[in-house]
Amino acid sequence: MTKAIRQPTLATLGLGTVLEIFRNGRLPVDAGELVDRVFGPPTDRGSLVISGANGIVGAGKMIQLTARLEPFGVTSIGLARPRTPDGIARHYRGLVEAVGQQRADRIMSRVVRMTYDGRTLPAELARWRPKFLLESIPEVLEVKRAHYQLFREAFPDIEIRSVTSGFPSSELGVGVLHPAFPHEINKVWEVVEPKTSPITQLLWALGLIPIPVSDHWSFVLDVLFCGITLAGVRYHRATNMPFWKIDKYVRKQVGPNPFRAHDVIGAKGANFLTWSCLHHLAAKYGPLFQPTPELVERQASGQNWYPPDHFRPLVDWPLDREGEEEFADWIQGALFQMAALIVQERRSHLAHINAIGELCAQFRRGILALIRRVGAAEAIRRVQRYHRLHPEAARAAWHPEAFDLIATPEWQQLYVNAEHDGQVGVITIGRETYNGDVDAELNRAIDWLKAEGVSRVIVTGDFHLATQMIGADTSEFFPALDDAEHGRRLAAAWSATARRLHDEFQVSVGFIHGKRCLGGFLELLIHCHYLVAVEDALLGMPEVTLPVVPGMEGCHWPFRKTAPEHWSKLVRLLLGGEAVRAADAVGWLVDGAAPLDEALRTAWRLASNAPGDWPPRRLTPGLLEGIPSDVGLGVSDNPATEAARKAIMESIVAACGAPLAEALDIQARHSGAFFATTFCREGAIGTEHQRTMSV
Amino acid sequence: MSDSISMFPRAWIPYGAWGSSFFPAWQTSALAEVNIGQFAGEAMNRILGLRRVPKSELEYLVIGSTIPWHWKFWNAPLVASCLGVRIPGFHLEQACATGLQAVIHAAAEVQSGSHDVVGVLTFDRTSDSPVGVFPERRAHRRTMALCDVWDNFGFDPAAGQAMIATAGNAARKHGLDRREVEELVLCRYQQYFDAKASGFLDRVLVPLDVLNAQGRLLGRIDADLGVRRITRDGLRAMRELDTCVTTGLQTHAADGMAALLVTTRDKAQQLSPRPEIAIQCVAKAEARAHPALMPEAPTLAVQKLLAKTGLTLADVAVVKSHNPFAVNDAIFAKVMGYDWRNMNRSGCSLVWGHPQGPTLTRLLIEGLEEAVDRGGGLMLLFGCAAGDVGIAALFRVSEGGRSQ
Repeated sequence: MTKAIRQPTLATLGLGTVLEIFRNGRLPVDAGELVDRVFGPPTDRGSLVISGANGIVGAGKMIQLTARLEPFGVTSIGLARPRTPDGIARHYRGLVEAVGQQRADRIMSRVVRMTYDGRTLPAELARWRPKFLLESIPEVLEVKRAHYQLFREAFPDIEIRSVTSGFPSSELGVGVLHPAFPHEINKVWEVVEPKTSPITQLLWALGLIPIPVSDHWSFVLDVLFCGITLAGVRYHRATNMPFWKIDKYVRKQVGPNPFRAHDVIGAKGANFLTWSCLHHLAAKYGPLFQPTPELVERQASGQNWYPPDHFRPLVDWPLDREGEEEFADWIQGALFQMAALIVQERRSHLAHINAIGELCAQFRRGILALIRRVGAAEAIRRVQRYHRLHPEAARAAWHPEAFDLIATPEWQQLYVNAEHDGQVGVITIGRETYNGDVDAELNRAIDWLKAEGVSRVIVTGDFHLATQMIGADTSEFFPALDDAEHGRRLAAAWSATARRLHDEFQVSVGFIHGKRCLGGFLELLIHCHYLVAVEDALLGMPEVTLPVVPGMEGCHWPFRKTAPEHWSKLVRLLLGGEAVRAADAVGWLVDGAAPLDEALRTAWRLASNAPGDWPPRRLTPGLLEGIPSDVGLGVSDNPATEAARKAIMESIVAACGAPLAEALDIQARHSGAFFATTFCREGAIGTEHQRTMSV
Repeated sequence: MSDSISMFPRAWIPYGAWGSSFFPAWQTSALAEVNIGQFAGEAMNRILGLRRVPKSELEYLVIGSTIPWHWKFWNAPLVASCLGVRIPGFHLEQACATGLQAVIHAAAEVQSGSHDVVGVLTFDRTSDSPVGVFPERRAHRRTMALCDVWDNFGFDPAAGQAMIATAGNAARKHGLDRREVEELVLCRYQQYFDAKASGFLDRVLVPLDVLNAQGRLLGRIDADLGVRRITRDGLRAMRELDTCVTTGLQTHAADGMAALLVTTRDKAQQLSPRPEIAIQCVAKAEARAHPALMPEAPTLAVQKLLAKTGLTLADVAVVKSHNPFAVNDAIFAKVMGYDWRNMNRSGCSLVWGHPQGPTLTRLLIEGLEEAVDRGGGLMLLFGCAAGDVGIAALFRVSEGGRSQ
């Protein structure tokens, strides 16, 4: 019997729990078996058909799905109207950059293109035995229905899913797989179907992120994205602030650039979709979603929101503190009301709702994390202030009671979950970057496991929303650029959390799967007694490239667990910034690396067996001497890199040269001090800070 | 003339829904670097935003400028796009009378019922004047290059003389005394600095940050750069360029924009932060002086205007003039028997410069604000324009419905 703080998101896909994955030593479903179920056995393999294949969505998904299905011998048919310009070929260059020319050619060779007139399917289509139609044609309900009818008559057993942005499955008569921009790389799909289908599970098995949502006019992503766009337009109507400037303030306060996003996606199509979603939402929920005249006009004209390059903005539009507060009322007030509606209607698992904003709409913090951060009372006050500015929005669709449960685990553990079977616990992290929210939730998860009497734990990703672990969320460092003490406190606090994995469990096992584990996440997991990785996972400490000085004890902890003959490799990892394959890091950075199933079994064995089966590498608490500083790295052309190398080396020497009890503070001080240097302020983090916060 | 008489009884100016940039002297600010049409559009949007006037209220745009700017062919619709609204409109120009003509024509648009909310946007950039190349079969070079600002200032093709010569001619005709003209100029500067120190100009002028192509600050337009601190001795020492004309007794070229709205009575009340103040266009007149006597033309226009309306200067609460040459005001005072100390009490273009298109618009806004300060009444605005033309107009300001 598995117990969890809250429902694992995997369970929403019918895939059980993360703990079961470790206990069973394998993933709950196999991609090959699911390909057989969806497309037929290899001897009678059918094909994927994407209609509207030259559109932005269709072409992007053609590349993404074909790249993943090609190893299984599935052919992808791109069906398009003759008048549409080729949308698939333009992805070829990016594909080559991503996977190399040879594989890119192999992928493209699986794409068969056909044209049709919209009324009659090509005769040769039957030869390819279509099994799964992903419909990506224009958002006109009757046209879509007729399209399905056409396919069903020709191929009665075909599975059909629509990529629709706004039409409910109940109206379409087919399931929905609503993808997120940019379509060729974004892994998220909002899924609407009565029960989880093999198609949805196949997406998951192929490394994508299906997220079940309930059936409504417009799904979670579009409520948030179209909603924040509408909020921006309403502010524009009230104040005249140009859209480009609204984007800057929205980015500063929340994260997205809704207007730029429309232009980048393609204003003609994106404007229509946004208008269409809002139009239908307004019909159901009232004025909160009512499209403004600007949206109506752009729906028809397809006009960009930003001025053309030759009219790059001339007159700035600064806001004072009071102005920014009013801006927040307009934008966040509307968003909080919309979020309350989504939560009230239980449109998805709260972790899903939160993740959709981050993964698909550029939210720096998911909408629920943002609300949780300000608190229910302040969120409600924000909405009330919005209602004073836009009284019509108060008339309907306002559910402040949705925030009543903000103290429950569903709200409190948006990113980090914990499960246990009475003996072994699993802490799962569903965010690819580490931030203050993850840190707080991780502490609560540790507290919960301890309260449950669990002393053995595996710490890992969630096998769903986080497909890799890429280190700290660098936006958390913005305040430290001007305040070294802030940086020190942050590093010390996060390091203290990491130490709990070592100090407060009898056995802890860090488990790395997915493509990579870098920076802060690697520092976190090396605190576990054991570290096990999938053999091809890339492990690295890229801080030097930003540049920053690692703050979560990466400058001394791995040295204390590694024999001196391996120290030069660690120094090289820290000063060079290049990642290593897990298989090449066994013995000095990780304890084991193997193919996925074997790595899962190893982690489970370590976590569940008695000590002595595989003794952990010993942690040296005393002073370390003889750390090599010359590891054969050439002098960098970049002065910032050289400065960071010097600072990191000083941090290594100082932290290793102190007892374990003092090393945490020493490294935190070094890390904090470097944040406030010109090298960091003018580096990647400083540049991002400038771009985001200096409006 | 009764209070109810107006050339444009349907046209009203919403108090406060207006603003002007500062007017930095030519080549002194970031405005020398920009497409002034684009700047003006964006600046009007910003000004309306600060005044809490949604630009979506605009139905039509009358723009006024005198110096060609990049993409001028695309006219008011292009400027409206820079403002952020897709509305029609047209461009007009009449040299330095442009700012007032634009307001009058906007009033005519409202009066005709064609449009209910008309934006007036006037602007010019004298810096780096464009050069036109014209085919000219009678010139020995067959082609003439004309620097738009300076070559035009230097030669009136109809009268054959430079602008500056018209000031000397008029001063001689009216027997002006340089010392009195200098006293008048000292007074004008003091009036400007007093208005600035009192905070009066903060109600009219809006600081604007200008961005470069990378979106970084190119410069802040927050001062009438080029306004000098003059002294009596300094003026006295200046070389006389023509009779009663020195560099201290005339204005300087500048860049800038100014904007306001003309609309119906109800809409004016809706758009104004002080709806109790009503502003109406009463009348306007134009006159043309004899050749090369431009500075006396405004006086002729005022005489014509008063004759048409049956008013006298005693009926007028506020007098503002566009005075590129100080002799303009001296002639007006002498001919009309009016104390020049009572004119231009809140500043004038002699002091803060002369970007042509928006000059009279800024003067109008200043004059209306001054009239409000004085509890309402008639405001007289007049000025000269190229071609020995004078223009004059009367506006009625009533505060709190007191005179309604």
